[in-house]
Amino acid sequence: MKKLYSNKPIIFSLVLPGLLVFLFAVLAPICLSVYYGFTDYTGMGEAHLVGFKNYATLIHDSAFGRSLRNSLLLAIGFICIQHPLAILVAAVLDKLQGKAEGVFRCIYFIPNVISVAVIAYLWKFIYNPDFGLLNNIAKAFGHPGKINWLSQQNAIWSVLIVLIWHGFGWGMLIYYTGIKNIDPVLYEAASIDGANWWTTFFKITLPLMKPVIQINVTMAIISALKQMETVYLLTNGGPNNSTQFAANYLYQQAFKAFKYGYGNAIGVVFIIICVLATVALNTIFRDKQEQREK
Amino acid sequence: MKKKWIASLLTAAMTASLLTGCGGSETPSTATDTQDTAQTAETDNGGAEEESGASDEGAAAEESAGGDVTIKLFSNLPDRKNGQGLVEQMIIDEYMAANPNVSIEVEALDEEAYKTKFKAYAMDGMPDVVSIWGQPSFLDEVLDAGVLAELNEDDYVDYGFIPGSLDGFKKDEKLYGLPRNTDIMLFYYNQKMFDDNGWKVPATTDELLSLCEDIQAAGITPVAMDGGDGWPMACFLTDIMVKVAGINYADIVSNAVATGDFTAPEIKQATQILVSFADAGMFQVGYDSQDYGTTMNLFTNGQAAMYCMGSWDASMALNEDIAPEIRDNIRAFTMPTVDGGKGGANDIAAWNGGGYAVSANSAVKDEAVKFLNYMYQPDKLSKYGWENGVGMSAQDQTAYLTGNETELQKQIMDILKNATSVSGTPINDCGPSAFKTAIESEIQGVSNGSTSVDDFLAAIGAACK
Repeated sequence: MKKLYSNKPIIFSLVLPGLLVFLFAVLAPICLSVYYGFTDYTGMGEAHLVGFKNYATLIHDSAFGRSLRNSLLLAIGFICIQHPLAILVAAVLDKLQGKAEGVFRCIYFIPNVISVAVIAYLWKFIYNPDFGLLNNIAKAFGHPGKINWLSQQNAIWSVLIVLIWHGFGWGMLIYYTGIKNIDPVLYEAASIDGANWWTTFFKITLPLMKPVIQINVTMAIISALKQMETVYLLTNGGPNNSTQFAANYLYQQAFKAFKYGYGNAIGVVFIIICVLATVALNTIFRDKQEQREK
Repeated sequence: MKKKWIASLLTAAMTASLLTGCGGSETPSTATDTQDTAQTAETDNGGAEEESGASDEGAAAEESAGGDVTIKLFSNLPDRKNGQGLVEQMIIDEYMAANPNVSIEVEALDEEAYKTKFKAYAMDGMPDVVSIWGQPSFLDEVLDAGVLAELNEDDYVDYGFIPGSLDGFKKDEKLYGLPRNTDIMLFYYNQKMFDDNGWKVPATTDELLSLCEDIQAAGITPVAMDGGDGWPMACFLTDIMVKVAGINYADIVSNAVATGDFTAPEIKQATQILVSFADAGMFQVGYDSQDYGTTMNLFTNGQAAMYCMGSWDASMALNEDIAPEIRDNIRAFTMPTVDGGKGGANDIAAWNGGGYAVSANSAVKDEAVKFLNYMYQPDKLSKYGWENGVGMSAQDQTAYLTGNETELQKQIMDILKNATSVSGTPINDCGPSAFKTAIESEIQGVSNGSTSVDDFLAAIGAACK
């Protein structure tokens, strides 16, 4: 076996498929995007090089700025609301044991199983001012008027709630798996020492969950940046771009406004932001790990 | 040695499976590959067998040795059981019955998805017959890319097209498509509701505003407006602008698009009127985020007294899904006149928008043109459209009056007959598609008060430059 792994042609042939996928499905499209980002290509006909014009326009594009701000808000929502809740629920589920554990785990995961299109339309109806569930509840409590949950001012918060709710089950499941992997002996030892649930949670569960939290936070930020389908189906970035996200804006510019070159410029900036975010997160987490090791 | 051999074999198998995934563009795909909400129409005499090997990307049609032909039709009418989609399907079925060697495959998507996929097809090879819009925002880029076949205008001399209706489909005096409808912007209203409450059809915008107050006081939404999509509100703005600027509308808008300067007093006044309508609560709560279907349902369920949309929705009067007490009472009026405006009651917002064209690179171009011409025979699109209450076609329909027309159809016909001028292309479709995207988004902001009128005009001007 050892001989097999030191055989260079074998190693090369094993690496080759992955390398080909990376070259043709990731690197080549990125290179094409960089090229088209410097053109005025409409998606049809011929492309003409226009230098940095697309990038200059992008800097002053308020809709793009708003979409980045919305991505940031979503990332904050994920980290500050969704994930703390997910960890707590995972910890409680772990303590439930028995049948209830499985039942609740299933229930919390249901939103993730339902198709995004269904989720979007479900919430569209929930938010509807005329026949929506939320306004009917408000009416039952004596609220007189119709609340416009998707107005220019409210829409972004309404969209954030849907996204946080939708992704909750996934985050919870990963935390739950992490908690299940913690050695039960530690909990036994803690209980012998007289630690209560909160102390056990803060002193054992949370510290041992750090690697899982790191992965989940990184994934949350990337998914906040990449957000597209739910927003496209729920509000399509409206009213007046108030719920715009970068990926949706890119789509609108490239395929609706026939500004394919501009869309690619957005794509390139988008890739840079994603890479920077990943590098920054890795650096932060690595520093902490190294400090701990010291 | 054995292990090495096995490892090599495994690697080869993995690489082969990977390459299989990458390749295959030459493999004929089945028709279902490209059917989204689409359906496939087949001939009654076993055309179904033909389709399995029928398509290869955009060059979708092929002629087999037996002379069988498959025409791919890409349509923006996904509802094949009502309105225009039904009419289109009826003609397709008839054509296939009359020409047993021809099979027509339909792929239908709704407007936005349609336009997106149209562009993908434009890069990769188009289906043979496609829906198009004879408006600069759609057609300019498409014609520049040269993906549509030129049609011979002389072929259509006897087709009864309304004078001027072909203009939007031409470039450099060459014809590239044919218009399907004459679209008129309308207020649909529920006449029974109006009569029961003693409400009158308004003649001026001031009367419209006071009518809306009365309707609101009765706890009903005055006007159902699809503001989530942006374009219906831009058509509404066009309608107001026609009453403000009269016959100068087209010149003012084309000048503004050319210069990127939308500060003309007529455009500003029309926008201010739109804002005042929205401020007065004319539209339903949350109109700026609601879609077409939800908005239409408000009206057809009786929750709104009026519904602002084009004449293509006149088929509501024949739609059996709508309760008869509402369906039978749907009537229409045009935008009331504006105090001091140059447009009279009979200067209307109307245009010839949607239509069909043939792909320049179609492998069965002659057959496709033959089918296109068949569709436009005066007793096809026009006649069936009229019989199914789909509003006005772009051809002379007077020969097909049956006497059984719905009241709504008669009203719309009268509106067009009495028109002293028609606006032409609505404002959002007068500029490049970047302008269209901008105005359809910005109009939500200006109507809901989050953007000022001046900022709105500056933003849409910037999108033209």
